[in-house]
Amino acid sequence: MASVVVWIDEGCIVCDACEETYPEVFHVTEDTCFIKAESRTDGNFDTNETSKSAVTDGIDFEILVEAAEGCPVDVIMVEQVGGDSPAEEPEEVAVEIAAAAGAVAESEAQVSSAAEVSMDGDRSLLILFGSQSGNSEDLCAKMGKSASTYGLEATVKGMDELQIGELAGQKRVLIVCSTWGEGDMPDNAEDLWVAANGDAAPSLAGTHFSVLSLGDTSYEFFCQSGIDWDVWFEKQGANRVVPRVDCDVDYDEMANGWVAEALPHIAAVDGDGVYQEDAVEALKAKAVGGKSVVAAGSAFDLPDLERAELQVNIQVFRYDPVSGESGHDVWACAMPGNLSVTEALRLLKATEDGSLTFRDGSPDDATTGLLVNGRLILPGRCAIADLATSRKGDFSLRIDPLPGYDVIRDLVVDHSDYQTHLSASKPWMRGATRSATQLQQGIMGTMEAPLAATLHIAGDFPSHQLLHSASDTTPHNRQYVGPAVLARLWARCNDSRLSPAGRTSHLAVVQGENGIKAEADMSSINRQGRMGAIAGLALLEAKTATLVADGFTGRHGKHVWWFTETVKFSGQLNETTLAGATLGPFGMAKNALTGILPRMALGFTRNGAPMMRDLQAMFMPPGSVGKMPKIINSKVDDHHEIVALYNAFDRRF
Amino acid sequence: MARYRYAYFPGCVALGSAREVQDAMDGLAQILDIEMVALKGAACCGAGVMKQANWELQIALNARTFAQAEAQGLDVLTPCASCQGNMSEDFARLTEDADLRERVNEQLESIAGIRFEGTMKMRHLLHVLVEDIGLEEVAAKLKNPIDFPVAGYYGAPMQQDGACGEDDVYDPQYFEQLIEVLGGTAINYDGRTQSVGFPGLLAEEGSALKMTASVLSDAKSEGARVMASACPLSHINLDTYQVKAGRVSGMDTDIPVIHLPELVAWALGHDKGRLAYLKTRVLVMGD
Repeated sequence: MASVVVWIDEGCIVCDACEETYPEVFHVTEDTCFIKAESRTDGNFDTNETSKSAVTDGIDFEILVEAAEGCPVDVIMVEQVGGDSPAEEPEEVAVEIAAAAGAVAESEAQVSSAAEVSMDGDRSLLILFGSQSGNSEDLCAKMGKSASTYGLEATVKGMDELQIGELAGQKRVLIVCSTWGEGDMPDNAEDLWVAANGDAAPSLAGTHFSVLSLGDTSYEFFCQSGIDWDVWFEKQGANRVVPRVDCDVDYDEMANGWVAEALPHIAAVDGDGVYQEDAVEALKAKAVGGKSVVAAGSAFDLPDLERAELQVNIQVFRYDPVSGESGHDVWACAMPGNLSVTEALRLLKATEDGSLTFRDGSPDDATTGLLVNGRLILPGRCAIADLATSRKGDFSLRIDPLPGYDVIRDLVVDHSDYQTHLSASKPWMRGATRSATQLQQGIMGTMEAPLAATLHIAGDFPSHQLLHSASDTTPHNRQYVGPAVLARLWARCNDSRLSPAGRTSHLAVVQGENGIKAEADMSSINRQGRMGAIAGLALLEAKTATLVADGFTGRHGKHVWWFTETVKFSGQLNETTLAGATLGPFGMAKNALTGILPRMALGFTRNGAPMMRDLQAMFMPPGSVGKMPKIINSKVDDHHEIVALYNAFDRRF
Repeated sequence: MARYRYAYFPGCVALGSAREVQDAMDGLAQILDIEMVALKGAACCGAGVMKQANWELQIALNARTFAQAEAQGLDVLTPCASCQGNMSEDFARLTEDADLRERVNEQLESIAGIRFEGTMKMRHLLHVLVEDIGLEEVAAKLKNPIDFPVAGYYGAPMQQDGACGEDDVYDPQYFEQLIEVLGGTAINYDGRTQSVGFPGLLAEEGSALKMTASVLSDAKSEGARVMASACPLSHINLDTYQVKAGRVSGMDTDIPVIHLPELVAWALGHDKGRLAYLKTRVLVMGD
């Protein structure tokens, strides 16, 4: 006979929910919740966390569970102690709990068994691709990355990268092969297929395999190459662990299904080459997280922070200021995938090249930013497994210094461009005199919560040095103050605590010639994740406010005004009107003199078109032939709808 | 009925100074069995410029285009990376901001009798070729291999979350895979996702030209003999302003720049004459 224990863990928020659910058991005090004396066998009145006294017979187990489930902070613990059958009442809930506990135990046992299979002896896996266009290759690269989840050490090879004899002695082989033309092998598989059908073809007794075949059902010999390999492996004595799957052009779903089966099955081949079919389910459970998945009800399970070892080529930018030489050094490394980029660099410096120079620091150090595989990151915060990209089966990390700054040495840059613009902008707060409110803490200034949240978000960047680099304009215009300074100043301009003098000073920078108008393309900022999205929005607001303040004058104002105006006029942009209105007659003449207009007229010859097209462009005004844009656009269908939308959303145009 | 159907949004430039894009799109659509259903009366996407005046206005115009496509049950196909980036941004804003969506739908209903529901997707030609049609099928239709090194230019607007399909935002590979399938050698260079500053071309010409020169010079120094642009707007910088960009920056920028649809269409057998001229330019005349 099982007894039931209920107690309260630390963290109760005294919300009264449990007492409302089961007042006979719970009593909420000022700072926690107590289990009532009359509901306990020991008759005490406390949280029951220490004594773990069982509840009395009359207590309804189902309502206890209901109270526990209703606790918003999950501090009510209900446990069955002793006996091998659940309490008689209520059976359904007790059975569920017992089943869940059983599942956990079973999963743990499976995981343990799987771990034995996974870690013993030879765990090599050969993944072969026969590919014409790269699809098979990509699939294999992804599969190679996933294989480590099953304790396998995968080698991904094209079929043109091995001799047929090398297949002998392989315990595990997975093949992905496309079909080319009328049932032909892809180019990189042809030679191997010829060899496979020659005299030197090895016996594959002891080899376990499976085949994924890619093809197109519109061809007569659908997936023939994969079928050929499947039959051949079997003929040579290999054991098929998972049936072949033949995919049509939309192969993703079927291919993923095959990978999900093939990997655990091939992983169930132990170090001695024996296929342990019983271990497959356990390997699957281990791959999806084992115990933590079964016990997903607990919000406090810590994720497994360890990641599989990654074979990765690390390319690091090197610059020697003395010799002036620069280039990239490449190291092929095997590293745990959970290593941060900073840790990887430390390791390279300690073991490979002590002269490697980078800015070290804590994970949140804003000055440590780097460009890794095209993304701007703080290297202490990012794991290499999350950044490494696969190209032709190899994982690579390319580490470069932040763009937009002068490089001092290797990965260390000089942030003075950003710092100089920042200090010149006088970004500090000059507070306004404003009304205050009598609060419990004394007289204090207050702010509406939405505005406070907006201001907080507007400045929530991991690193302003990183944000400065996000603009593709900054490397080419050193006078431009950059997105980081502008985003900071614009947030200040919207801060009700700023004095009018402070606002005037900040706006002068934001709206000046080297302010937001100098940003040539905000899309380069927008694309940099959350940081870019926040800054991009702020900069767009600043640009709009600037253009309005200028009355849409000057080149920037005219450009935006006439772009919008021409779209209203016809529904389409008119390039001729836009250029003429923005540049003016002098600018257009300058364009003619600097070769722009001739290049437009001669555009087709330059890129390989008949001369006749150029002659048409030259002698058939008003444009609209060659690469000369139209002078007048015809209106799009239902143009009145566009005009009506303009009238609804912006009557200035 | 064609095997692939999309609502077609060519973008203003493909109907203006880059009509060669439209020529190539017509050719490749016929070869790959794509039906490009016209979006009658679709307005300009704003190209990252109109939103500087009024983003809500630009969103309303694009919502009308989206709703027109949804009414036909089709995704939108565009050959322009700037259109793809801008319209994807606006699509995301509309789906995330219920108040804005309601304001826009109220006007769309009263003016055009349509509503934006968020059921369509924006698709760039590059993503359609790789994800929908598949590189194997493209390879099967190859007639004239592009047998020289090609630098694919993605540009910045399309390389954002939600705009670049399943490709990597920061280290994309679709263009390179496509070039290889078409018989070319894909050049991997830093500038392929960098901006050439098209929105600032007329107002911030100095910066835009240096940005353009940096991309061209980078591609050339990595061995490219031709550049193919996924963005007809950026093509204006890369091609028409090429000499000026070289002069302003002092960099070597001289390289033929064609459009992505041209690269594909020519390789698949459309307009063999254009490809022959280009090869002559590349192989005989050099730079």
